[in-house]
Amino acid sequence: MTRAQHQLTRRTMLRGLFGGAAVSVMLPPFESLFGLTRPAAAALSPDGFPIRFGLYVWGNGVNTPTWTPAATGADWVPTGQLAPLAGHKSRLAVVTGYEVRVANVIPHYSTLSAMITGRPPAGTDGNESMGGPTIDQVLGQEIGGDTRFRTLETGVRVRQPVSHNDAWAPNPSEVDPAALFERLFGVGFRAPGDDTPPDPRIGLRRSVLDVVTDQARDLAGKLNPADKRRLEQHLDGVRELELRLARLLEDPPDLEACVRPSEPASATDRSDPFVLNNEVADLLVMALACDQTRVFSHVFSTSLDNHVYTGTDAGHHRLTHDEPGDQPQVEAIVTQIMTGFSSFLDKLAAIPEGEGTLLDNCCILGTSDVSLGKTHSADEYPIVIAGGAGGRIAVGQHVRSTRRENASDVTLTLARAVGANLPSWGTGDMRSTTTVSALEA
Amino acid sequence: MRSRSRLLAPAARGVLACAWLAACGDPAQPGDTDPGVIVDPASVEVAPGPPVTRRLTNAQYVRAVHALFGPDITVPAEIEPELRVDGQKAVGAGVTVISPRGVERYEQAAFNIAKQALSEEYRAGWLPCDLTAADCPRTALEQVGLRAWRRPLTEAELDALTGLVDAARAALGDPVEAMQFGLAGLLQSPYFLMRPEIGADPAAGATDLTAWELATRLAFLLWDAPPDQALLDAAASGALLTPDGLDAEAIRMLDDPRARDGVRAWFADWLALDKLDSLEKDAALFIHMSDRVGPAAREETLRTIEDLVFEQDTDLRTMYTTRRTFIDRTLAAIYGIKAPERDGFGEASFPEGSDRVGILGQVAYLANHSHSTSTSPTLRGAFLRESLLCQVVPDPPAGVNTAIPEASEEAPTLRDRVEAHMNVEGCAACHTLFDPMGLAMERFDGLGVYRETENGAPIDASGELDGVQVTGLTDLAQAMADHPAVPICTVEQLSRRALGRRPTEAEEPAVEALVQAYAARGHRLKPLLLDLVQTQAFRRVDPSQAVESTPESGDAAGTGGAE
Repeated sequence: MTRAQHQLTRRTMLRGLFGGAAVSVMLPPFESLFGLTRPAAAALSPDGFPIRFGLYVWGNGVNTPTWTPAATGADWVPTGQLAPLAGHKSRLAVVTGYEVRVANVIPHYSTLSAMITGRPPAGTDGNESMGGPTIDQVLGQEIGGDTRFRTLETGVRVRQPVSHNDAWAPNPSEVDPAALFERLFGVGFRAPGDDTPPDPRIGLRRSVLDVVTDQARDLAGKLNPADKRRLEQHLDGVRELELRLARLLEDPPDLEACVRPSEPASATDRSDPFVLNNEVADLLVMALACDQTRVFSHVFSTSLDNHVYTGTDAGHHRLTHDEPGDQPQVEAIVTQIMTGFSSFLDKLAAIPEGEGTLLDNCCILGTSDVSLGKTHSADEYPIVIAGGAGGRIAVGQHVRSTRRENASDVTLTLARAVGANLPSWGTGDMRSTTTVSALEA
Repeated sequence: MRSRSRLLAPAARGVLACAWLAACGDPAQPGDTDPGVIVDPASVEVAPGPPVTRRLTNAQYVRAVHALFGPDITVPAEIEPELRVDGQKAVGAGVTVISPRGVERYEQAAFNIAKQALSEEYRAGWLPCDLTAADCPRTALEQVGLRAWRRPLTEAELDALTGLVDAARAALGDPVEAMQFGLAGLLQSPYFLMRPEIGADPAAGATDLTAWELATRLAFLLWDAPPDQALLDAAASGALLTPDGLDAEAIRMLDDPRARDGVRAWFADWLALDKLDSLEKDAALFIHMSDRVGPAAREETLRTIEDLVFEQDTDLRTMYTTRRTFIDRTLAAIYGIKAPERDGFGEASFPEGSDRVGILGQVAYLANHSHSTSTSPTLRGAFLRESLLCQVVPDPPAGVNTAIPEASEEAPTLRDRVEAHMNVEGCAACHTLFDPMGLAMERFDGLGVYRETENGAPIDASGELDGVQVTGLTDLAQAMADHPAVPICTVEQLSRRALGRRPTEAEEPAVEALVQAYAARGHRLKPLLLDLVQTQAFRRVDPSQAVESTPESGDAAGTGGAE
């Protein structure tokens, strides 16, 4: 594959995904970049709340032999590694038995790329990239356009970016609570009912971006095709920033649950990842409640993460490979990670929206970079779906494939549930045109 | 990927067929050119390759801001993640794009920098006039713009930037604050954040770089920083476009202390020394481990290289065989030798007769290419193959269990355990490519501490490199210094940095001539750089060409995208 083709993938993909006329809405040509046309309206819950999509990723997989619940359907019992999620059982769908169909040549990375991009990774071991746009970015194009942040990337222990706009175009996660607070609720943010006039500097910053855009358009006309496509992607980012500033000039959305959260304390000891996870989650959840974003990726930990968890005697990644026998320590670590996931869901469930909660209007894909860390395996992939996408996903059940079906079927199902009418997801063996009917409400 | 070079085939360029090299043990030969005839690389006619518009790396961004407004300006160090492509971030900079988050961070940084630059503390250092004067913003933007964009701004560009300042002054009143918006427009521009390459006459196909583009290539290659005023003057006068003028500038720049930044940046990138910042070692197993080890180890290796290039101006292959090094107390403790200075770094020697020699005997290499709890002959060997010999090693096959057996009474040493693993079908074919090199270094543990036993059993440090039998690191290092692929790979890696991509097949004759000249001039880096910048591959581009392939894994399967 040439580099030129690399650069093509995102646009080719979007062109293909959205088909025909929709393209001009999703990715306007240069001439209309600043027309500020809004993309097609996102899906809403029956009581009128936006549907949000989230990706929640942790590294090094699970202990697959004891991960899968014994019973399927509504009768499943959250035990072992899944026990911490018991409080949210009615809002979860645990999906097991699906396989990530990728040539597993880059340990940890091939499988993660396959799961969240539907493609094999680009590059080689040690110098790799996701193989294309990740699901959060694809859905951000579809349902994120009405909000200040088309997508939001947050995290805790992030060795390398998970979210990608395309191969070689990573979106780093914000892991510093103070920086995240400033970004979301700092200069320019107005809570509902705040009628102070917008700062004139916001308009001036937009003018600067206009000038930068003119410079970039001028330059793009002179570059060779590969560099031109890279510059166009850069311009997409400039356009997003411009839209973000434009949102600040509008009246804030009238959402009851939206308040400016308190600033993260600078003295907090953040060596415990769960402390940091809670702080970042508080800000992320309020960003969702304030409708500043509808699409997020939250990376609790990444591939090869070697944090030494409470009650274990070595780093997480090391234990996945070196702990003999049934790996009780690995199992204890995954249980702790699920406890952190559960705390995250608690925060979403604590925000009332209409008759339900913010969590009910979310669709969160919880997954990892491998299934069994010890062997980097790609089958029995861990998938936990949280929130019912405003009633569009059938939660409260364990859905099991007995035929090692394609994990991309699950991704495609979720994408369509949140309002993205994708005809397919993935390439090659990973390509899916089939949804999981058991998950469709 | 196809094998395309007479010079570098079979071993130095192609993907190694695993069993093949092990069976043949055929090292790269310096091609079929006659070593007695040295061709001046500048005189070799080649069809130039495609231009590459590179993003400034994080370090280059910091240097560029400091060059504009002063070295004490606070600049965020890690705005955007950097990716290695073809073994170097210098190549990744021409592949990656700036993310939406990056755009936001660059905007934030631009205003932050502009505010500092306009403070009373820094203003005098760069601002040529009083901002209350009506024509001052334009004059200032014209002057600082030339250095920021590394070319003169057009009237239209200046009009637009000045317009921002005027609008801001009308809205805010304060002429100093208003100027922030003009500077922010300069600093967020793709002309600042990137190094656009278009060529003097792009419609013609193959064309010379413009003098401004050539100055920019030259400065970032030699200094890892933008051109200074003297280089911009040479570009403006056209002197840079003559061979003598280019040579004079390159010589001047190599004599400047900033050339050390350039050499250090290249080696840090090539040897992946940035990874030492996140060095993870099990503190229970490695009592010398601390947060200081990684950065100190990087400094040691870079000082060693700097000494060979600038103080000694000697054969670069000496980096494998020298016993001279530069260490602080942290490293002295690991090496078990006396610290040369109470504070900071000083010159020291690895003892004659010890097995520790050269950069392969330094913590930076030994610890970087090990696991957190043990050595890894595989990682150590694979790095030599891929980065220092420029051979592409295949990824492990799909779904393989890469765990090796636990240490036991029957298999106390890593060699015993790896050999057990090698009996697994399919593993041995590739592992014989790099494990025998790595096993020769087994007398150095996962942090680089010397040892003679492992779990009570004596360590067997015998190994092999392309048919040369070695025992211990010193032997292996000598075999590397003697390996014909080493200088070829050095030229290849330097060319990638200079061009922002692999040299194309058409550019290969220029690279071959560089290899020959490099040998003839005693494998010294400074003459190699002077030769390289004179080649047509460096001075010319062909915008009609597409960039050639980067090494891929299974991505080819994804060609065409989703439907």
